[in-house]
Amino acid sequence: MQHHHHSQPPLQSAGDLIASPPESQATSTDAPPKQVALAMDRLANAARLIADIRLGADRLLEALFIAGEQPHQSGSNKPLNLIVQEGASMRQYLQDLRTIGRQLQDSGVLNESLRSRSNSWGLHMPLVCPDGAVVAYAWKRQLAGQAGASAVDRTRLALKAFTDQKRRFFPHLDDKSVDGPVSKKQRGTHTSTANQQEEFSDLKTVSDVLTELEKEIAEVKTSTYQRLDWLKRASLLPNDTFDESPKDHNNFQSSRNIISESRGAVIAAQIGVIELLIPSVFRAVISLHPTGSLHPDAVAFFSPDEGGSYVHARGVSTFNVFRNITEHAAMAPQHFICVNAETALYKLLLWICSYQTLFTKVCSKCGKLLSMDKESALLLPPVQRPYRNFSVSKNLSQNSSTKDQSMNDIPAYHIGCFPQE
Amino acid sequence: MPIKWVLHWQPNAGHTVNSQILAEVSQCVESINGVKEGKWKATLSFYRPVMKEQANPAEFPRDFLGISLPEQPNKYYFVLRGQRLVVEADSTIQTIMEKLQSYKTRVALNFEGFQYQLGDFQLRVGKVVSIQSESLRGIVMEMEYKPISSWEKSHKIMGEFFDIWQEALSKRPLPGHFVHMEPNFGEFGLSGQYTLQHTAVQYATIMLQMIATAQSVRN
Repeated sequence: MQHHHHSQPPLQSAGDLIASPPESQATSTDAPPKQVALAMDRLANAARLIADIRLGADRLLEALFIAGEQPHQSGSNKPLNLIVQEGASMRQYLQDLRTIGRQLQDSGVLNESLRSRSNSWGLHMPLVCPDGAVVAYAWKRQLAGQAGASAVDRTRLALKAFTDQKRRFFPHLDDKSVDGPVSKKQRGTHTSTANQQEEFSDLKTVSDVLTELEKEIAEVKTSTYQRLDWLKRASLLPNDTFDESPKDHNNFQSSRNIISESRGAVIAAQIGVIELLIPSVFRAVISLHPTGSLHPDAVAFFSPDEGGSYVHARGVSTFNVFRNITEHAAMAPQHFICVNAETALYKLLLWICSYQTLFTKVCSKCGKLLSMDKESALLLPPVQRPYRNFSVSKNLSQNSSTKDQSMNDIPAYHIGCFPQE
Repeated sequence: MPIKWVLHWQPNAGHTVNSQILAEVSQCVESINGVKEGKWKATLSFYRPVMKEQANPAEFPRDFLGISLPEQPNKYYFVLRGQRLVVEADSTIQTIMEKLQSYKTRVALNFEGFQYQLGDFQLRVGKVVSIQSESLRGIVMEMEYKPISSWEKSHKIMGEFFDIWQEALSKRPLPGHFVHMEPNFGEFGLSGQYTLQHTAVQYATIMLQMIATAQSVRN
């Protein structure tokens, strides 16, 4: 735009859309509901102006197109007139829009200066939320926020649908351009990763994930809890629920299935805590957020003999070895979610289970089990196992030898031996 | 409960144990960042049967030991080494035994000293003193790894810690070394989960060794 008129008073602009000066001067002394109504009006007007501008631009382009097609027609002033006309009204619309914008800014709607200010009526100026929704009252912000969140979800779903379709109908097209940043992390893994992730994305519920996990890792014992139930259980730990004999394991396994079947889908939606126990080695507590989802948000490791109200996903073990593992694992849930949110829980649990060799697997760098950590002056086993570039292919259950191999391939490092990237 | 290895001092041929060695051992623990925490004490009694007339001594068990451990002051542990039996009883059983007069204490030993923390490990260094004569009969050590209680799972890590300890100790010129003897817990009917019965059995096992050592020195 060539013109930048800053000080045009509202009176001089044509159009009946702008509020007259006396009203605008009295704005500050108006009761809040009137201010709110005014602001809503102005926002609606602004939207209308924007629509007009869009149309005007269309018309301009059309006029230019026609003029370009028939340059030498007699009486071809028509397109030229059109262009001039449209140009004038466009300028007007933009001017009006600028005015409204200034008014909205002054009344505190767009620049949030009055957001925190509450007047005697307890009302706030209407807010324009990040996702574009306009709300009249602050308490509606919450709803708008939720609308925003669902908009994000809808976009993500739309993107996924588009990506799936593209992969299905146009396999010859390069996938990298669509997946963007995610593909960078997948660089280095073989092309079967995409298929493998589709396989893992079959695991739609926590129960699916845990069943699959128990197939892969023979020693692990899993259970799920509502948040409050976990606190009760933590205070009772350690107990002899998990007997070492396989017979009892089967009994417990089947009882869990019976319980989950009888209570049905209600339980699945309330699962907030997952417990992984590798008997005699460690107990890991994972929390899901939101409850009932497959999104892990915290994990903590404990001795299988520890018990008490501090045993939870954000708690800290009394033993140095488990404290250090918990520290190392702090960013793991977020990492797995960033790589692929659908398979994040399963991958995280698999990675956690790699610690079953905590007290037997020597450090992949120095070859020893115990090492004195310089910083803390503690003797520790290799507590750090890398989770970046963690990929485990889905092994068929009959192929037990390769299954063991793939889990044992994950290196283990002392704190000081961990490779720096 | 946490895994524990009980070690005893094996003096070199021709040497005895003395308090100088004890001091060196304690210093060595502190040199590997052990933090002294407090004292500990355990007692062990050798019982011998009170013979009635015409009783055949061979019928009565010979290696009958009673042990009290600091972790559970209100319990008392009996070990019949020959028969591979270990029993946990209430500490009031000692009163009953005195009343019964069927077995009397032949030798009573005290194990006492200091305990040290090394991160997740706990070390105890103790002198073995005869209650009657107050003479130093030996040195024992307890090595404990607190996070886990499975004997099998902890074996490798305890082994490495033992090696680290031996290496640290070998830097000092001492006439002897610590020995770890691993009893067959299964024979005593004990499971893979560590308990105080396991400790009692370990003490009973090293007693035999210590007595043999003491006898050979005397001869």
